[in-house]
Amino acid sequence: MKEAPLSWLRGVVTLHVTGPQVELFINALTGLGIVIWDVKPVKSGLNLKLLLNDFYALRPLLKKTGCRIHITNRSGLPFITARLWRRKFFAAGLLFFGIALFLLSSMVWSVDVEGNERIAAEDVLDAARQEGVFPFQWIWRMEDPDKLSRELTVRLPGTSWIGVQRTGTAVKIQIVEAVQPEKKPLYSQRHLVSRTDAVVTEIYAEQGRPVVGRNTRVKKGDILISGALGDEESIQYVVAKGEVKGLVWHEYNINVPLKTDVNSYTGQRKDHSYLVLGKWAVQLWGYGKSPFEKSNTLTEKVPLSWRSIHMPIGWMTEKELEVEVKTVTLTPQEARDKGLEIAKNDILAHYGNDSVLKSQKILHEKRENGKVYMKVLFEVEERIAEELPIVYNRGE
Amino acid sequence: MTRIGRRLRGWTNGMLDLPQDLLHDMPRITLIGNKELYVENHRGVLHFSSELLKLALSKGSLEISGKGLEIRTILGQELAVEGIIGEIRYKESEESS
Repeated sequence: MKEAPLSWLRGVVTLHVTGPQVELFINALTGLGIVIWDVKPVKSGLNLKLLLNDFYALRPLLKKTGCRIHITNRSGLPFITARLWRRKFFAAGLLFFGIALFLLSSMVWSVDVEGNERIAAEDVLDAARQEGVFPFQWIWRMEDPDKLSRELTVRLPGTSWIGVQRTGTAVKIQIVEAVQPEKKPLYSQRHLVSRTDAVVTEIYAEQGRPVVGRNTRVKKGDILISGALGDEESIQYVVAKGEVKGLVWHEYNINVPLKTDVNSYTGQRKDHSYLVLGKWAVQLWGYGKSPFEKSNTLTEKVPLSWRSIHMPIGWMTEKELEVEVKTVTLTPQEARDKGLEIAKNDILAHYGNDSVLKSQKILHEKRENGKVYMKVLFEVEERIAEELPIVYNRGE
Repeated sequence: MTRIGRRLRGWTNGMLDLPQDLLHDMPRITLIGNKELYVENHRGVLHFSSELLKLALSKGSLEISGKGLEIRTILGQELAVEGIIGEIRYKESEESS
């Protein structure tokens, strides 16, 4: 037997009762079936608790018994609501805050895309938007992550897996892109034409129609492999591909001096050291005249620097290196060989490393002013094909 | 104490029959140590202070004296008292108050 059930919800009033016969008052209460509890005798009467509902039935009893009551405490929900009702806006604010917190936290605030290299993040976000994943979307309106990732994989070609993960208000879309074969560069339709006058030695058409055969003499600009297939009526253009080699003649005018001066360092050196202050350099070491007949001077400047800031103070070293001049004299035979070597290297550099020197013929040779002059004809087998794009409606 | 105890035991022995408190409109008093006291079937409070509690019964009255007495609940004819209970005196008298 304790206090009345759910008394806090129904509201509890603590009374202080005074009067000549408080016992009568209590008996009257119990006679009406009113529950009271925590009845404590104090100096001038009693303290007791009862339910708020029963409080209104007290008045006639008080008159009958001649007691007086004084409310000392009120507690319970009805009083709290009454107090809150007096402060409506405070209560509304409290409620509003709770609702706002709940609503804002059940909203998607950010969508991030991770792991994409080829596919633009905007495309992924677009697809996600069509699936109902975008900022300021309600979380409860979003589909299951499993379903979303399946739908997104269908929507975005070129992906092998898409994961959708939601942590709080942030959605993370992880993408694994499918490995795709490398794309071949695009060529426009073309012919292969001759770069120069030549005799064809080898022709191999990978694509297109070979027009010339072996040992054909071609001129510059002649079509070697045609990109046009079919006859006049049904013509189709393709990208001509292939390899054509031919004999080409190159005439070289070579001159080689018999005597050449060669500069070389002897290893002797003299250093001058300077302290640099702004525009001025103060020499500290290495006074004295240069002991060398001929010399090269290398200058090294080391400014005092800290990180990327250079001070106007620094150190400068001048290295004076002795130079010796040697004269090399070639015999006419050596000079000729050297000249031919230079020409061959030039051919290889210009017309491709797979060029083959078939023959060479010295047409003219003379020695004059200490130089050897030569005119040489080289017969070289080299690639002669050149691309010529096909332009439509060329004939009109 | 012993008298009440005997009476309680007597009641329990007689449980097979109808209990006496129903038959004779007598109070049922339960005492737990000297801390709590439950009285059922009383007829109202005659006097109440922290030292003395007088209850009216159908025949006579019950006087409970102790220290720091308080009524924890009153509901109809049931009553629970808390505090340090010293004496319980049962006064039988023909005249009812």
